[in-house]
Amino acid sequence: MDNLQIENNILETIKTAFKVEGKVVREKRVEITAHKQLISSILLFAKNQHNYIHLNHITCVDWIEDGEFEINYIIWSPTTKNTLIIKTRISRENAQMENIDNIWDQANTYEREMREMYGIEFPGLIGEHEFILEDWDEMPPMRRDFDTLEYATKTFYQRPGREDAKDVREELTKQSGEEIPEFAKKYSREK
Amino acid sequence: MEKETTLYIGPQHPGITGNMMVKLKVTGDTISSASTHVGYLHRAFEKLIERRNWLQSFTILCRFCVPEPDPMELTYARAVEEIEGREVPERAEYIRTIVMELARIQSFMLWYGGQSGSSGLYLVGQWSVGDRNYILDLFEDLTGGRVYHMYIWPGGVRRDLPEGWKDKALKTMDYLEKRLDEYDKLMFDSTIFQKRAQGVGIIPKDKAIEWGVVGAPLRGTGIKHDVRIDEPYCAYDKLNFIVPTQEGGDVWARALVRRQEIRQSISIIRQALDKMPAGEFYNKIPNPMKWSIPAGSAWVKTESVRGEVGFYVESDGSNKPRRVHVKGAAYTHGVTVLEKILVGQNIADVSFILNSLGVCPPEIER
Repeated sequence: MDNLQIENNILETIKTAFKVEGKVVREKRVEITAHKQLISSILLFAKNQHNYIHLNHITCVDWIEDGEFEINYIIWSPTTKNTLIIKTRISRENAQMENIDNIWDQANTYEREMREMYGIEFPGLIGEHEFILEDWDEMPPMRRDFDTLEYATKTFYQRPGREDAKDVREELTKQSGEEIPEFAKKYSREK
Repeated sequence: MEKETTLYIGPQHPGITGNMMVKLKVTGDTISSASTHVGYLHRAFEKLIERRNWLQSFTILCRFCVPEPDPMELTYARAVEEIEGREVPERAEYIRTIVMELARIQSFMLWYGGQSGSSGLYLVGQWSVGDRNYILDLFEDLTGGRVYHMYIWPGGVRRDLPEGWKDKALKTMDYLEKRLDEYDKLMFDSTIFQKRAQGVGIIPKDKAIEWGVVGAPLRGTGIKHDVRIDEPYCAYDKLNFIVPTQEGGDVWARALVRRQEIRQSISIIRQALDKMPAGEFYNKIPNPMKWSIPAGSAWVKTESVRGEVGFYVESDGSNKPRRVHVKGAAYTHGVTVLEKILVGQNIADVSFILNSLGVCPPEIER
């Protein structure tokens, strides 16, 4: 573990300062799991004390089974060339997370995207409500319970006059004498 | 006092690097504020991936950024390999390196066209896009596809180098190297280009990393950061190459960095072809329809022409990704960085600056 000395030092410093759990994933990767109220303090600590001045990414994972969203803050230090991943979980109900665009300007873009795609609110977030989607009044689409098939069926329909269009695969299989594989039959137009 | 006017550039505009819009507030010809608007190309790639198995995702991944699809394939494949703990044969690592550098060169060729075209030097683009076809020929021989390849898979690459491909690749490198001198005469020696590029779109060195700047724009400020060196992957740690930097942080510095990087890419391809070991090229995966990846997550980065490409991949142990979140260079370059550096610039320089930052809009909205 000698070659992971830098990673272990960073992990221990943050664990000691904030009483959080974490691990060294591999060379140049440290992962911390913290309560959502500690996130901005840990980010500021990492930025000011360990020179993690580069915000790489903020990502969200929907754990619908647990009723939670996982938000991951990924930051990078040009001094040690190390990446620190800080994970937290928030409730899916009235999802709200602290706004950190006062620490990094570009966090604003990520937060606007998460607000739109997952419905997570960031109090104090400035920026137009519409970022990628236009006139969207459905459920935030990146949530796991958003049914893409139902939405597509409802929104996009057969062009009038093409109701009797034949399924090309059906026609081809009839001509060639082959069979459509079992797993593909559910997509067949002929019910 | 002059009146402030709102001006919209894009989404349909020859100077915009894709389907996006920049909303400007201008006083005379000078920009006083800028904001980026995306959403004209949103196809819910990341959502679609959640409904596909680990291998089917490749058909979507390569479409995140048309000018440079291969870094997306590689980054995803590496993330899957990291979660699963799958080894990659050494020969495959060399082939991947060659593919990545070919992808860089063909993307540079497109950039030549965009960067010079936005200053009125259209001939450079006509030549470079023509020469890019020789790289696409190599890709076609190797992968079967010219633009989208789906060639790099978890565990290696889909097929080995075809017979005679090495010689053809070396000849193409020799040809392109000679052509670079011609491009220099047309573009870098041109007073028009120099005057347009120098002192325009400056990114301050002391703010660059904090603003999220990566790739050639970061190296154009004098900061030496390249994922291929800082976190080596493929066979980059076994090859010799330098990471060019320039001072100034302007369009000119970014262009000079890219100019030097093409020559480095040619050198890397020659070395990789020379040192490539024999052996397996693919650590075969199980039946893709039944292939599950153990639960876990990975954050993996790759250096593309536009800068760092990062993939956050999460698996819940099933045969489909739980989440694939892509961070391309354009996500920061095309929004917050662009909005900052456009202030005080001339309207005519918007597309010039956009090209120098390597903004690829689908990478923002995915």
